[in-house]
Amino acid sequence: MQRLEARRGVEEQHFLARRARSHSYNPPVDLRLVDYVSSYDPNLMCPICRCPFVDPVVLAECGHCFCRECIRQSWNTQTTTYTPHGPHGDCPSCRTPARLRPRSTTNNILINMTDELIVRCPKSDEGCKAEVKRGEVQDHVNIYCGFTLVECGADHCELPVRRKDVAQGCLHYGVSCLSCRKELDKCNLDCHWRNDCPARQTECAVCKSMVFPRDLAEHSSTACAAISVPCPGAALGCSNRSTGAQARTHADTCMLAKLAPILTTQHERLEEQEAAQKQMSRKLEVLEDGFTTIQSILSPFSSDNMVDKLGTDPAPGPRPTDLPGPYSADFDLDAPASFSAPNTSAGPYASPLHHLLHMHESLRDEISRISSALSELDGRHSMQNLNENLRTREEISYIGAQLGGLQRQVHWLTSAQLHRQQAGRSPTPGSATSAGTAITDATSGAGVEAALGAVNTAATALRGAARMVNVGGREASGMRRGASEEGRTKL
Amino acid sequence: MAANKRIMKELGDVNTNPPPGCKITTKDEDIYNWDVSMDGPDDSIYKGGKFTIAIVLPKEYPFKPPTLSFRTKIYHPNVTNDDRGAMCLGMLRAEEWKPPNKIADVLKLVRAVLSAPQPDDAVEAGIADQFKNDRKGFDKTAQDWVKKYAK
Repeated sequence: MQRLEARRGVEEQHFLARRARSHSYNPPVDLRLVDYVSSYDPNLMCPICRCPFVDPVVLAECGHCFCRECIRQSWNTQTTTYTPHGPHGDCPSCRTPARLRPRSTTNNILINMTDELIVRCPKSDEGCKAEVKRGEVQDHVNIYCGFTLVECGADHCELPVRRKDVAQGCLHYGVSCLSCRKELDKCNLDCHWRNDCPARQTECAVCKSMVFPRDLAEHSSTACAAISVPCPGAALGCSNRSTGAQARTHADTCMLAKLAPILTTQHERLEEQEAAQKQMSRKLEVLEDGFTTIQSILSPFSSDNMVDKLGTDPAPGPRPTDLPGPYSADFDLDAPASFSAPNTSAGPYASPLHHLLHMHESLRDEISRISSALSELDGRHSMQNLNENLRTREEISYIGAQLGGLQRQVHWLTSAQLHRQQAGRSPTPGSATSAGTAITDATSGAGVEAALGAVNTAATALRGAARMVNVGGREASGMRRGASEEGRTKL
Repeated sequence: MAANKRIMKELGDVNTNPPPGCKITTKDEDIYNWDVSMDGPDDSIYKGGKFTIAIVLPKEYPFKPPTLSFRTKIYHPNVTNDDRGAMCLGMLRAEEWKPPNKIADVLKLVRAVLSAPQPDDAVEAGIADQFKNDRKGFDKTAQDWVKKYAK
């Protein structure tokens, strides 16, 4: 029993020692020093450390929020005397006397918001590319990260080794770097090559300066002298070209860069307007042409004797007009009755555009009137057609009924004939007479059949005629509609 | 380390979005010593002048206040008239300093004090007296000094 306890004690010691060692290899992640990948709201920033809150506490006395560590540090540097009720001091923001309570009143929402920010693994300098939620970065380092230091797998070796290299056995033997001849442990060779081997610097593709592989990305984004970016206001005349970070500061101060987006949108709008205007002027031209043609069509009818006749005519037709002098007179097409004398009351138009617009308006009225008249005419025609069609159809059905009667009569006749034949054949089965009747039967049967065929053809002819009437009516209306449409488009 | 990070952050902020009329540089990568080149505010008698201000951040920053000194001589009741050119700002006193304050805020306050000197809180009693009693003479001397030193 004693031995068992002693053994347990030894195991526990061993475990504690291991844990302490691993803790010393990998100090807990300081969340203030990690790089934040995701952007965060400035309101989530602790006013003291200017990082997203780490273990935030809200002071119950004034409602200000700080990281627990920040406020502790702030109060430690103040001359505060120890009190048994937890640390206390003045709020760093408003100097309200406050006390740090063990159970903070911080809302979980705040904690979740800060813990869900994405950060880069603290071992990113050594090559880990992981980007994890801040709340999980400690777990990542402790459990998953291949660059975390763990105990060397080999016996009797107590030096730390990266987790990804554990399987390669003990790497704690001295090697010298092939490039720079520096003596170092095998396990640190990768890191040396990445971060500080002077012979392994790579050349920046653009500026030809030598950079450590680790710094290459940062170099090209901020420091590279050759990657210069023109000012966003270059189109407006700013000739500044600067590199990386300088370009950003320039863009912040340059007036032209600030104006650039507004001006470009204005420019686009202007171009749009110009295009629209061009289109409008083209349309106007077309209308003008159309108007002149219509004017030339109308001019023969513009004599005075047409006025009364056409004024009462409901059918569409050209209205009487006087010939308008260039931009000086007007059509008054809405009131043809009152239009016996040239309308001189309307003064000269302010501009050709107004004149044309007015003419265009009157033409539009005219066209609408014509189209309404056309549709009226169309309706009348179709009505007429329908009436006629109805009559024809009635006639056809009458004829059809007569034909049916005829057919029935023929049928009756044939059946009577057949009866007679049968009656004649059964009592006298004689050879000559039977043959004679057979012949007559055959002839009469053929005659009857011919008559039936004739009747049938007559019926089909009738049906065909009826169809013709239907199709003709439909076609006629279709043609009329097409014609009226054509007329409209022409106008 | 955390202080370091905060200073780096503030440096980044003032470089991308500097306070009006200020240009901030650090002496050879030493982030605890800032050099500020400030134009005299347009609404003050120091208009047209270019003043160099040195800001030294303590290692305990932001828990201890930074110290601020005019490298350019300036005739002002709140700036000591000696080699140090220390500026007296209420905000920068140890008991008044709050960790949430930023250097950009301090610089804004400096500009405000340049525009409106505070003779009641003066370090140079003589200049403060002149400011209160002989405003014209004060303005003239101050402008002379601007022409002499702050060009």
